[in-house]
Amino acid sequence: MTFIGKIWNVVRREVRIWVRRPVYIVGSVFVMAFCTVFYLTFLRDGVPSDVPIAVVDLDNSSTSREFCRQLDATQLGRVVRYDDFAPARADMQGGRVTSVCVIPDGFNRDIQAQRQPTVSIYINGLYFLGGSLAWKDLLTMVNLTGGAVQREVLRMQGVPESSIMGLLRPVDIDVHQIGNPTMNYGAYLANMMIPGMLQMVVIILLIYSLGTELKYGTGRHLLQSVDGDIYAAVSGKMALYTVLFTLIGWTIEVILYKWMHFPLAGRLGQMLLACFLLVLASEAVAVFIIGLVPVCRFALSIGALYSVLGLSLTGFTLPVEAMPAGLRGLALMYPLRYYYGMYVQVGVFGSGFGQWFFYVVMLMLFCFLPFLVMRRLGHAYEYLDYERN
Amino acid sequence: MKETYVKSWLKDALGIFNLELGRLLRDGGVMIIFIVAGFLYPILYNFVYRNGVLEDTPIAVVDDAGCTDSRRMIREMDATREIEIAYRCTDMEEARELFRDRRVNGIIYFPSDFGDRLANKETAVFSIYADMSSFLYYKNLLMGSEFVMLNEINGIKVERYRFDGLTDQQADASVNTVLYDDVNPYNRAFSYSIFLISAILMLIIQQVMFYGMSMSVGTMREENRSFASLPDTLRGRGVGRVVLGRGAVYWLIFMVIGIYVTTIVPAMFGFPQRGSFRDIMTLLAIFVTVCVFFCMTWSTLVTRRESAFILFLFMSPVCIFLTGCSWPTTAFPAFWKWFSYLFPSTFGCQAFIDLNTAGADLEIVAPQLKALCLQGMVYFALACGAVYVENFVLKRKGRIDEVRREVEGRIERRIGAEKIQI
Repeated sequence: MTFIGKIWNVVRREVRIWVRRPVYIVGSVFVMAFCTVFYLTFLRDGVPSDVPIAVVDLDNSSTSREFCRQLDATQLGRVVRYDDFAPARADMQGGRVTSVCVIPDGFNRDIQAQRQPTVSIYINGLYFLGGSLAWKDLLTMVNLTGGAVQREVLRMQGVPESSIMGLLRPVDIDVHQIGNPTMNYGAYLANMMIPGMLQMVVIILLIYSLGTELKYGTGRHLLQSVDGDIYAAVSGKMALYTVLFTLIGWTIEVILYKWMHFPLAGRLGQMLLACFLLVLASEAVAVFIIGLVPVCRFALSIGALYSVLGLSLTGFTLPVEAMPAGLRGLALMYPLRYYYGMYVQVGVFGSGFGQWFFYVVMLMLFCFLPFLVMRRLGHAYEYLDYERN
Repeated sequence: MKETYVKSWLKDALGIFNLELGRLLRDGGVMIIFIVAGFLYPILYNFVYRNGVLEDTPIAVVDDAGCTDSRRMIREMDATREIEIAYRCTDMEEARELFRDRRVNGIIYFPSDFGDRLANKETAVFSIYADMSSFLYYKNLLMGSEFVMLNEINGIKVERYRFDGLTDQQADASVNTVLYDDVNPYNRAFSYSIFLISAILMLIIQQVMFYGMSMSVGTMREENRSFASLPDTLRGRGVGRVVLGRGAVYWLIFMVIGIYVTTIVPAMFGFPQRGSFRDIMTLLAIFVTVCVFFCMTWSTLVTRRESAFILFLFMSPVCIFLTGCSWPTTAFPAFWKWFSYLFPSTFGCQAFIDLNTAGADLEIVAPQLKALCLQGMVYFALACGAVYVENFVLKRKGRIDEVRREVEGRIERRIGAEKIQI
């Protein structure tokens, strides 16, 4: 039997298993579909709007009311009025409002008399995005209020309109957000969360597929179908799962960059390559884990622990530089880390081959992992001399 | 001697409790999940997010202005916590090169007319280019340069007003017409770890219990037993005994893990612990109870030992988002808002964040506690229902077999009878 023939045998055998046990298709297609729908619909607004901001207006003057109206009119904020500080603080502590803004008594009077009233701003930084956005919104509004007052004063002094802006705002920043110009939080997270879930699903499902042969003692049957060639057995399984997961992954990439139009500076083909290599490298990790620990349950537990931590260790939320030194080394052990590196080069900078080939090489290096454990896995299939459960 | 209802109830529940406890203790796989995941995961996550704050993001500067103002601003930016001026480049091309090699995560550019515009009392603009591959790079670059800009604006404005003949105090009063005091009392530095770990800790309890219980249920199913078998003497009654007897085992184990996770782990890592111990224990007791019924309900769907990993592992990150700790709950699409009500973690995490990290009291988290209690009642009913259905099916399976045998027998006899007739 040729090598290709053996692989064909394994593929046919695996497809029969899929038909008998729907968990494989549910665990791959359904799970990935759910994740894609979740991350794309949950964060569909890109930037949250109308986060609740509590305002305790102790002044109730025309200026303070105008301040509230303006704050309410911003896209980010929605004003919730309170008469007293205590209930506002309680609601902030309970996470029902993101921040509290206290306008002091005599706010208007003090502004008119140039006595510099102080607005107090309290933020709940535990609800991260809501808190930081409310903070930004409030600071902008306070600065604008100050600016409006100054403008009136300057106008009264007879300063020409053309030079007022220079006096009000002598320095300004022109902000360029490279790779995500609209600051779309959904694009930022979905770009990495969904491939992260793909890595997780590939690892778990392939470990399970290889592990059940051990658990139900069908390893020998698998080997018989390939004349005892463990390389053909594993390659056959990997071939089928590579096709399945690459198709899923490519569908996702097309949805992200063609359908949702998330920013992509480089070419889609390069992301498809990255996705294919991510699938391959994750499969290699799965084979390595089950080969190292040829007990289905143990291998799955290790795979689960490994892949869940991978989402954090990739460093697309909290960058790896901010992690303790020991964990930076651990971060190198994840295919997703290199996928992320490639995404940054392709998606954010639109760089050429010279900039991203390193990540391709690293992802390909993962593919050598299975060779280290192949004999061990073959032995386990042949003799089934490990604990089954 | 006739036993009272209460006495027999307790006896049966205790019997089921002992049975389940023995089963769990003998199952190495489940114990490993409970111990390794329950005890190790909180520590691992604390390590990953230990620093929590990204400091000194490397930035390249291109200073085409070369005036005293731009040089001073660059020095001030370098001095902020957020930014480190790692490279001073002669032109944008050089900076872009460093940016692409990821040696810097942002560029600050002062155009050549920056100094002139300041001297002419116009608005001088400088540009920043932020790497959006992680929002924290952007946040650092923006905050660092904005702090410096606001500070500079004040200085420059005061200077200009003084130039117009105002005294220092008059100038300050005209520039800073409204002052503000901003406080971020619960998370002073907007630390990534403080907001995320608070949510993760509670979620770990729910997820570990779910995987453990599913594994145990799956094992029994594989061995052709059922998690729901009622004591024979009860003749089909006593669903509550099974649910509460079994639940008590998990409740006890997870109260231990829960106390460790909610009080010892934060103390180990110097995490804020502002709530009172009594309040946190109250929350924990309610949360663990709801989790037990939640896990009992959903684990009935699991037919094999390992299925839970394949079918539900992806829910852990989803649950984190559903707690609302990052994306605010007010911005949830309606469907996902309702979906989040399915999980005890949604309310449990929120209540824990408020109690432990924000130092609230039980009165403030009352809405979450009420929601948890309601959830607990619904899931208790569902868990009972699941046991009832399981028993119903099991019993009917026996009956179905009986009926089938009877029918077969009748047909045989009929055929036999017909044979005789012939």
